[in-house]
Amino acid sequence: MRLRRFGLGLAASSAMFLVGCARNAPQDTWQPKGDNAQKINKLDWMVFPLAGIVGVLVFGLIAYILFRFRDKGQALPTQSHGNPAVEIALTIVPALILSVVGVFTFKGIFELAQTNDTEMVINVTGQQWWWEYDYPAQVVNGVEITQPIITSGQLVIPTGTNVLLRETSRDVIHSYWIPALNGKKDAVPGRINLLRIQADKPGIFAGQCTEFCGLSHANMRMEAVALGPEDFAAWIANQQRNAEAPAQATLAQEGEAVFLNQCIRCHQVNGLKKADGTAAIAAPDENVYSGAAPNLTHLMSRNTFAGATFDLLTSSCRKNVWTASPEEFGSAYLKGVTTDCLNQTDLRRWLRNAPAMKPMYADPIKLARSDGKYRGMPNLGLSESDIDKLVAYLSTLK
Amino acid sequence: MAIIERPAPTASILLRAPVTPSQSMGIVRRPVTSTGWKSWVFTVDHKKIGIMYGVFAMFFFIVGGVEALLIRLQLATPDGKILSADLYNQMFTMHATTMIFLFAMPMAAAFANYFLPLQLGARDVAFPRLNALGLWLLVSGGLILNASWFLGGAADGGWFMYSPNSGPVFSPSNGVDFWTLGVQIAGFGSLIGSINLIVTILNMRAPGMTLMKMPVFCWMILVVQFLLVFSLPVITVALVLLTFQRSFGATFFDVAQGADPLLWQHLFWIFGHPEVYVLILPAFGIISEVLPTFSRKPLFGYPFVVFSGASIGLVGFGVWSHHMFATGLGPISVAAFSIATMAIAIPTGVKIFNWTLTMWGGKIWYSTAMKFAIGLIVLFTIGGLSGVTHAVAPSDTQQTDTYYIVAHFHYVLFGGMVFGLFSGFYYWWPKVFGKMLNEKLGGWNFWLMVIGMNMTFGPMHILGLQGQPRRMYVWTEARAGEGLFNFGFWNRVSSLGSLILAIGVLLFLINVVHTTRKGKPAPLDPWDARTLEWITTSPPKEHNFDRIPVVHHLDDFFHRKYQEDATTGAMVQIATGEQLVRDEEANADAHIHLPSPSYWPIAIAIGVGTLGMGVVYGVPIMIVGVLIILGSSFGFVLEPSVADDIDYDPPMSGGQETKELAPLG
Repeated sequence: MRLRRFGLGLAASSAMFLVGCARNAPQDTWQPKGDNAQKINKLDWMVFPLAGIVGVLVFGLIAYILFRFRDKGQALPTQSHGNPAVEIALTIVPALILSVVGVFTFKGIFELAQTNDTEMVINVTGQQWWWEYDYPAQVVNGVEITQPIITSGQLVIPTGTNVLLRETSRDVIHSYWIPALNGKKDAVPGRINLLRIQADKPGIFAGQCTEFCGLSHANMRMEAVALGPEDFAAWIANQQRNAEAPAQATLAQEGEAVFLNQCIRCHQVNGLKKADGTAAIAAPDENVYSGAAPNLTHLMSRNTFAGATFDLLTSSCRKNVWTASPEEFGSAYLKGVTTDCLNQTDLRRWLRNAPAMKPMYADPIKLARSDGKYRGMPNLGLSESDIDKLVAYLSTLK
Repeated sequence: MAIIERPAPTASILLRAPVTPSQSMGIVRRPVTSTGWKSWVFTVDHKKIGIMYGVFAMFFFIVGGVEALLIRLQLATPDGKILSADLYNQMFTMHATTMIFLFAMPMAAAFANYFLPLQLGARDVAFPRLNALGLWLLVSGGLILNASWFLGGAADGGWFMYSPNSGPVFSPSNGVDFWTLGVQIAGFGSLIGSINLIVTILNMRAPGMTLMKMPVFCWMILVVQFLLVFSLPVITVALVLLTFQRSFGATFFDVAQGADPLLWQHLFWIFGHPEVYVLILPAFGIISEVLPTFSRKPLFGYPFVVFSGASIGLVGFGVWSHHMFATGLGPISVAAFSIATMAIAIPTGVKIFNWTLTMWGGKIWYSTAMKFAIGLIVLFTIGGLSGVTHAVAPSDTQQTDTYYIVAHFHYVLFGGMVFGLFSGFYYWWPKVFGKMLNEKLGGWNFWLMVIGMNMTFGPMHILGLQGQPRRMYVWTEARAGEGLFNFGFWNRVSSLGSLILAIGVLLFLINVVHTTRKGKPAPLDPWDARTLEWITTSPPKEHNFDRIPVVHHLDDFFHRKYQEDATTGAMVQIATGEQLVRDEEANADAHIHLPSPSYWPIAIAIGVGTLGMGVVYGVPIMIVGVLIILGSSFGFVLEPSVADDIDYDPPMSGGQETKELAPLG
């Protein structure tokens, strides 16, 4: 009976494991979409079945013993103290199995640490609670990046290219993890850690900061977007443009004034000019502890905001992007956030009171230890009409 | 009670009328009462101290369990609203801290304190007052840790307390200060205790008990104490650095001043990984006693179990960086620690095989203690196998900081450690309290815990591998996948499982209450046991053994009861446990010397706690703490080990003839 119970339990649990997985979980570690993640997955396919087989053998043996040697009123057993030959065999066999695992592990570790075949470099910087991407000037697959690009939330890479991420942090330790493309690597302040990623096909891949980084750790997400060669070139070209001033006498132009009054203290928009015609330069270092805030020049070219926690796209438009086939993905993504797709609800809530949506250190009482500097975005106390104007302005930042 | 007059054939000496102190040393009279709360607070008896460790640990097991239930409640639905982000971060920090420092270590200390001298055939530990000091320092640390809840919020940096997130800027409340001080003080207690137990094991074994005739439980406790002696100083240093950074403006972990945040991680895990074995090895020791008893045959491969335990301890110091595979150590370090981690699976596997083969050919009695021991083998093996998948460093970079890891270490620590401790509860309860825990309730207790534990932690394997990170106060539908078996389903199963698990644990508490009120008195040898703790009454007398046993065999008690028939080779009973106990009573030693209770251990602990609070609340309080420590240290040092006769009321008759030392093994 006991044997059957164990057998049933074992069968049930393995069956549960096989059918029990969520379909299309965006951060599934067993659905590699690139070379590096594929290498890891091959190791998984070696060690998991091996562990499974060992488990089944051990549990089978235990179940057999529990059944066979139960107290049936038999005489007291011989007081045997063991069998050295069996002991030695049972030490050597696991050692041999593990040596085989070890050899392949070694190979994997050194392959994944390789950096000499890199075709592109992106600097990735973590801070509470968002990621900044900085593309140095370089030539990628024949496309020239002339001006460094600074963006956040969504990392855009060309398909089929070995990209080297140079990670660091401006405050505490974070960890960059796009499971479909590679394992995680910590972003450590004062250090530069290297992580290689590569995506086979166009698509969007979810990720999440995986080193506990304080209050809003759960709200520090990221997405990686892989684009085909032409789409990537188009994206680069757009990112290198400065923002255009909104048309005269529009709501957006009034929004620009609000932006210059409020948002510019932390957020840069490239090409933005003050009323006197001089360049408007953000000073996040004076207001934010990490010294940085997301660059909003091309806000509407990304689908998310606030550390990729909230969608700029309405749910139906978001679905169109996430479910697009690899062939159609590029054009769907490059459309950006059109007016009819803009998720007004969340964006307005955010402008109304950001810390209410995402816990942040914005309470003045708690800022004594950080010299009054914020960690995250405070409640700006904007009026509803200011918010209307700002939304109109932000919508122009394509 | 200092000196026990012998011969006294019955236990009546324990019932001596309460005595009150009169005067001693001119200033403070010695607390010599043998009943009432004072007999507990000032005791130096290893058994009373062991019970107090156990009560303390069980209380915090419930506290930590409630914290865990709140966490599971929050995660039962997407975007949970039960806890705020801030409170959730405090909750998981304190859940881990409580379970590790205030439940697991003290509960292991409870078993070690109570049973080590009994299994060794000794009358007490080597340094009884230090033993009490260790307990009260732990209590002091535990109070400071949990006082933070009421004094501005608990620590919110995770039990690993990584810098720089634990620095004053990133964690501005006093929670982390209370945490560092509480862990530090509890750590002093463990360190003192470990030295005490090492000396006890090495010096106070009964005559004839060579190290290789010592019960495996004692061996595992010995290994654990060495782990503590070598690992606690590392965390002590790290905590001092952190305290100085937070309270006195030092910059050890301040990146702007050139610090490397990985320094903390190395210090923490050089302590933290051996700590994992500190938690699990006592449970291994317990089931190494339970499995032979209920299989009715000796442990298979005793020397292999002993040396695999020792090598787990040794290799355990060389694997700490496998907690840091994602921190950018470089491929050579990662490869080295990856291999070391695989290597530690070998002695662990040896243990699993030996326990399994102990049952082979046995006559298995499925008592509740045995069920929990078998539960440990199965559940720990699952945790061990998932552990091997993390040893593959590239795979680990996909697994670390996800729920897969949470699943892994809960199989190891809950399925392993907690099941081992529960096995110990059922096995040794009659020895400690003289009453049998109800076996029927025990069966329900066991099966509900098995089901609850697998429902709670099993789905976390799937959640983690499918990308749910840990330490997040909410999870979101956007990352939950589609279909029936999405994250929502598995998170609900897990939360439901945690309730079943809680009911299972509750049944144990009900069993304890039921047993205390209506439990059957325990026979002297209810399990037909094998080791020396059963050769005395239940509960044991204050002096443990009427006569110090002389040991001839491993499992000496068993071999006093059974002998191999010369012709048939079968084991034949020659005496019952009852007869053996009566025999010891009839041949009691004439004079037994035990140390007297003392005020000073708890006084020093109060001083250390006050000093700790002073670090947070200012120099005047620190000065008060230092004065208490200084004063009571003098008291501690100057006090004779045995109370003066005039401490008793009426004064004892004195007389040199009673003041001889107990025979040392």
